[in-house]
Amino acid sequence: MVDKTKCTGCHQCELWCGTEIASVSKELYQAIHEDPHPVPRVYVEGKDFALQCRHCEEAPCIEACPNGTMRRDPETGLVYVNEPTCIACWMCVMVCPFGIINPSASMKVAIKCDRCRNMGYPICAEVCPTQAIRLEERKDYSKKAF
Amino acid sequence: MEFIQKKTADSAVEGFLTKAAESETSLVWDRYEGQLPECGFCETGLSCRDCLQGPCISHPFKDSNKLGVCGKDKDILAVQSLLRLVLKGTMAYLDRVSDFTKGVESGEIKPKNKVKTDKILKEIKNLFENGGVEVKKELPKTFAGLWDQIGISPEGIARDLFKASQRLEGGVSDVEETLLWAFKSSLLGCMVHWLQGNLKKSVFGNFIPTKVEVNLGVLKKESPNLLLYGYFSPILKHKIAEEAKKKGVHVTGVCSDPLIPPFSLPPVTNYGSQEIPLMTGAADLIVVGDQFVNPSLSNLSRKWEVPIISAELLKKEKESGRFAREIVERAKKSFDFRRNIPRDIPDVKENAMMGFSPENVDVKKILGALNKGKLTGIAILSGSNNVKYTQDQEILTMAQEFLQNDVLCISEGEASVTLAKYGFLNPSTRDKNCGKALSNLLSSLGKQIPSVLDFAEGSVVDLLFNIAKAGKKGLKDYPILACFPEANRSSEVVEAMGMVAMGISTYFWPALPVTGSMKAMETLTQFCYENFGSKLNIITEKKIDPRAKANLMLKTLKGKEGFGMSGKPWK
Repeated sequence: MVDKTKCTGCHQCELWCGTEIASVSKELYQAIHEDPHPVPRVYVEGKDFALQCRHCEEAPCIEACPNGTMRRDPETGLVYVNEPTCIACWMCVMVCPFGIINPSASMKVAIKCDRCRNMGYPICAEVCPTQAIRLEERKDYSKKAF
Repeated sequence: MEFIQKKTADSAVEGFLTKAAESETSLVWDRYEGQLPECGFCETGLSCRDCLQGPCISHPFKDSNKLGVCGKDKDILAVQSLLRLVLKGTMAYLDRVSDFTKGVESGEIKPKNKVKTDKILKEIKNLFENGGVEVKKELPKTFAGLWDQIGISPEGIARDLFKASQRLEGGVSDVEETLLWAFKSSLLGCMVHWLQGNLKKSVFGNFIPTKVEVNLGVLKKESPNLLLYGYFSPILKHKIAEEAKKKGVHVTGVCSDPLIPPFSLPPVTNYGSQEIPLMTGAADLIVVGDQFVNPSLSNLSRKWEVPIISAELLKKEKESGRFAREIVERAKKSFDFRRNIPRDIPDVKENAMMGFSPENVDVKKILGALNKGKLTGIAILSGSNNVKYTQDQEILTMAQEFLQNDVLCISEGEASVTLAKYGFLNPSTRDKNCGKALSNLLSSLGKQIPSVLDFAEGSVVDLLFNIAKAGKKGLKDYPILACFPEANRSSEVVEAMGMVAMGISTYFWPALPVTGSMKAMETLTQFCYENFGSKLNIITEKKIDPRAKANLMLKTLKGKEGFGMSGKPWK
């Protein structure tokens, strides 16, 4: 959940997502100087609103993906990119209604938020100073249960 | 984003942490954890709020906001973050000296050496106005020449501070130019600090090593305790100590100069645990300055019912004698008023010899041992506490490692108080702490010499000047380094920059806010090495334990990395 009244646009989520998830070193001081630079999976652009993958129930990116690289984790329902099989066709980038999939030219893979599915708790929610980003179950939001 | 499991190495302080938790008192460690994760942009120096179009950041991971609104890039943002600290630190030194000179000029105290005092007062005035021609004559020639050549010699407040501060307002200064302005400002701060030491000598008499007791156990159970926190006018402190002696009030200090001859103010604790004395119930009155005083004291004093007086109010008693009498009187009244509050004073205290200076330590003997290779080197330990580390652990481990490896350790200010708490300033533990060669040298220097030499205010600069004048080589060619293991305040940044400008390689933890820019970091090391023969080492690795840090510095001293002493370039 992102509460747009609480987001101050401080970019901390981007910074720590880039460091903890996207960098090789996982240390801020080193991550800053990595080349190619780490690509955060969350975006704060234009307005004070942190935008990351909504993990749609009917995900256009999964349907558009020609070789099954874009997948859904059957247990958690999270949508993720299986990076080794990505052929960089950017179909997912074109169909995403939120524009959150980043075509990485240097790494030749589609990069997107997997809500830190291997970490237990998303880093963006952990570092958000105003708690604008929170992780909570909202049954009333989904049409059907996974 | 790092939690510190063990909060402090001081067992006397550790006991109070449970007490704080039980009474739901939030201390510095709790507040630090509440702040985590701290802003990554500010930590790496990639943010700026110098104008109202911002605040701006340079985003390391995105191309859309690499430049600030006015066009500052990451290199400029980083080096300006350093400059901002330096300006604040320099002003801290200027503030201290102006308090002191004002007190002396008002004639409230009779200086021990009137002629010398007048001369120094004039020198300080000249330094403020035009960079001080007389001061420059007293500097070692190698320094003055080099600084003039690079253009960083102090030229007075208007040129050094006002001009330097305008780099933040605009202009097209590059990283190197901005850094030079930072050095220029730092040198003014260092010169002022040195003159303050000289002024103290001429007003209160020469520094004499004095036995002082340190740690929470110095508080008295049966008499009123008056605690002086932080820096404020030494004249006022002197008057308070004088008055308190007459009235039977026990005066102690926290983050305060322990020696105001003929009085000594036993340090109750050091910077990191400055909130703890309030929790003992034994503090009857606290007088605070501004520098080195945590604003949290205000709330805590209300909670633990300790009256607090600021020595820096706009509307305060101008005449220090009268103000001192008022303070001591209030301390006595408060003691009577607080009689029913239990006093929990831990029985922990250490003896320490403090207040060495080049006048009472044979510098030639030290130089001789250094030249003959008996000493591995000299390490200047400085800086207060930083909550990002286990309190005192870093400096403690480093001192242990250095002493065992025959490195002469010199400490000053808060670092001395820290080391004193663990007996490093106690002459009786010397032989246990030190390597054989170092122990022999120290015993040849005098009778009551501890493992670590605490140098009085401004005396470290004095010592460096003495070495530079006595030796045939520049300071950069000696195995001397400075280290700030738990740096915190901006005045410590100024001190570190001053050391580098004098040719002393300096290690600084935590990393200064320049790590967002590779160019700024390279300039601090490479550019400084080319000009001064020394580096300000910024170590970005976070998970490095104090012993590894000490070994890193020992390698530098021994020249194993081909740095400095052997003259070879970095491998």
